[in-house]
Amino acid sequence: MKCQMMVLLVALFLHNAQATVKVVTTLPDLADITQQIGGDRVNVDFIVRGNQNPHFVDVKPSYMMKLKSADVFLMIGMELELWAPQIIDGSRNTSLDVVDLSKNITKLEVPERLDASQGDVHRFGNPHYWLDPRNVRTIVQEIVASLAKVSPNDEQFYKTNADAYLKRLDTKIAEWELMMKPFRGSKIVTFHKSWSYFAGWLGFVIADQVEPKPGIPPSPSHTTELIQLVRTGNIKAIIVEPFYDTSAPEQIARSTSAKVLQLPTSVGGADAAKDYISMMDYNIETLAAVMK
Amino acid sequence: MLRYPIIVTMVFLVLPGSSFAQTTINPDISVIPRFFVETNDGAKLPGKREFSQPDFSFQELEIAISSYLNPFAKADVVLTLPGPDIEAGKLGLEELYATVVRGLPLDINLRLGKYRVDFGKLNMQHPHAWSFITQPLSQERFLGEEGLNDLGLSASVLLPSGDVYSKLTVDVLRGAAIGEATGIEDTSGNKPTYATSARLMAFFTLGEYSDLETGISMYTGIHDPYNRGRFWYWNYDFKFKYKPSTYTSLVLQGEVLYNIRKASQDRELNQFLDANGNPVQRTINTAGLYLFADYQFYKIFSIGGRFDWSQSPYSKDDKATTMAVFFGYYPVEETLGLRLQYQNRKDDMPGFSQAVNSIGLQVLFSLGPHKAHPF
Repeated sequence: MKCQMMVLLVALFLHNAQATVKVVTTLPDLADITQQIGGDRVNVDFIVRGNQNPHFVDVKPSYMMKLKSADVFLMIGMELELWAPQIIDGSRNTSLDVVDLSKNITKLEVPERLDASQGDVHRFGNPHYWLDPRNVRTIVQEIVASLAKVSPNDEQFYKTNADAYLKRLDTKIAEWELMMKPFRGSKIVTFHKSWSYFAGWLGFVIADQVEPKPGIPPSPSHTTELIQLVRTGNIKAIIVEPFYDTSAPEQIARSTSAKVLQLPTSVGGADAAKDYISMMDYNIETLAAVMK
Repeated sequence: MLRYPIIVTMVFLVLPGSSFAQTTINPDISVIPRFFVETNDGAKLPGKREFSQPDFSFQELEIAISSYLNPFAKADVVLTLPGPDIEAGKLGLEELYATVVRGLPLDINLRLGKYRVDFGKLNMQHPHAWSFITQPLSQERFLGEEGLNDLGLSASVLLPSGDVYSKLTVDVLRGAAIGEATGIEDTSGNKPTYATSARLMAFFTLGEYSDLETGISMYTGIHDPYNRGRFWYWNYDFKFKYKPSTYTSLVLQGEVLYNIRKASQDRELNQFLDANGNPVQRTINTAGLYLFADYQFYKIFSIGGRFDWSQSPYSKDDKATTMAVFFGYYPVEETLGLRLQYQNRKDDMPGFSQAVNSIGLQVLFSLGPHKAHPF
């Protein structure tokens, strides 16, 4: 009986000793990837909903509360989340490890000249790199390192989970690339410059954006130019993020044979986008169906 | 363990700038001018009311400079060029303060300098961030045209209230803002007495798309330097925001201010006398409130209405009411804004009553980085 009690107490002690790492991410995509790596040894929360524009987020005290007791805060970086410093400061969490996941990403569209005449440009380049799944490998490595920093004893556990996830992702990448191979070199139009990494990966050519400049609302003259471009360029798809107004893209579609596709840029941006892989599945399948 | 960061923070705060090596890190600098075109029917012509010729004016220029001083503290400077002073080129200092954001025990935030005091909800907001053009009456009458803005020391702490964000802020202030608010110049020669302010606020997440912030504030000081008359302001504020999408939102916000004031004279320094003609001290209880709704119905458009009513800090009989409707157009995010407002203001006091209709158009633009506005 005594022996059994001792075993129970030791088991209870070991269970309590295995503390979970509390992680908050800006995007739900990062929350999903962190959950895949950390399993039941992490407690993950995120700030931006999948159908919300990550560039513009109100600085709510409730977000500060999320960070107040967190160990790690994962950000896309490259000034996508310009609102984040206010939330970090407001949390008053001195031990929070803020991780910018863009450090080792090969960046696209880094502006040579930076001024507001170029629209809402990011000085460190286009921050939408998570939409190229090959960049997820870099993201995963950064997340493993940040979790292991907080809980070094679990490093091997994180690495094993990360390897399993990347293996699954590699299989899907090969599958997605095969599915989109026939459309390499095809032109598409996007609403915002969210799809540069995605298009670069699959070999699409982004003919133009519905926004005349990043962050600048569509103008009648630019929409007219786009109608002409879509007609002459045999463009079949106009990709719009779920949080943008579709009236200008719909106007272009009505005057041409192109279709407007509302594709999520984050987990939760569409019903089918339950996690990062299912979001990419949805985006690839929807786009492939229109490009045929 | 906490001692080291505290010492480092304090040392960094007090060290002169020349102690640091030159750096290429520049602070964020924003320039926000506001222009104003207004017409009103306040100048009565015999037998009829007529709107005046629209008056073009420069309302204010704000120059905001902000940066971290070091890993523990940041500093903010807001310089203003108020409209009437533009020709004279008088640059005013609206705010200049340093805030220790981390490193202190209990995660206290400490602010030192001249700043907009955390009193109510609207006072901390700069006018360019308001949805409307004119200041609510209760704020103008009880806090002054520049709001409650004073030199002092502020400490705030997050309270242990579970998942609910709640914060207590306490300020010790020089007390200079009192005179500016009431218009009474202190020529008593008495040593100024401090004013103190406190605000307790809580933020509730009501649902996926809606949040509520509510707070109670107190401000007290000596308003009458001759007779050491003390006043107390008690203020309740709330802000509800429903935001179902990035570009659609509904804001309901209001504040009620209650004033308790021991006074021996009125605002014009006329002594209060009893029936026998002897000086007497009275307790004045007056109040003011505002309530507004602002509906952003498309990315670039918003529409709203405001009601405010206020007595004077010195008299129940001196009342004013304003009804306003306003329309906002923000064609390119926050870099350019146009606000159109119609306002009906009624002033009512013994021997004088006036109603003025006014139509104003405000144009503002923002140069440089613009931080996300707090909730």
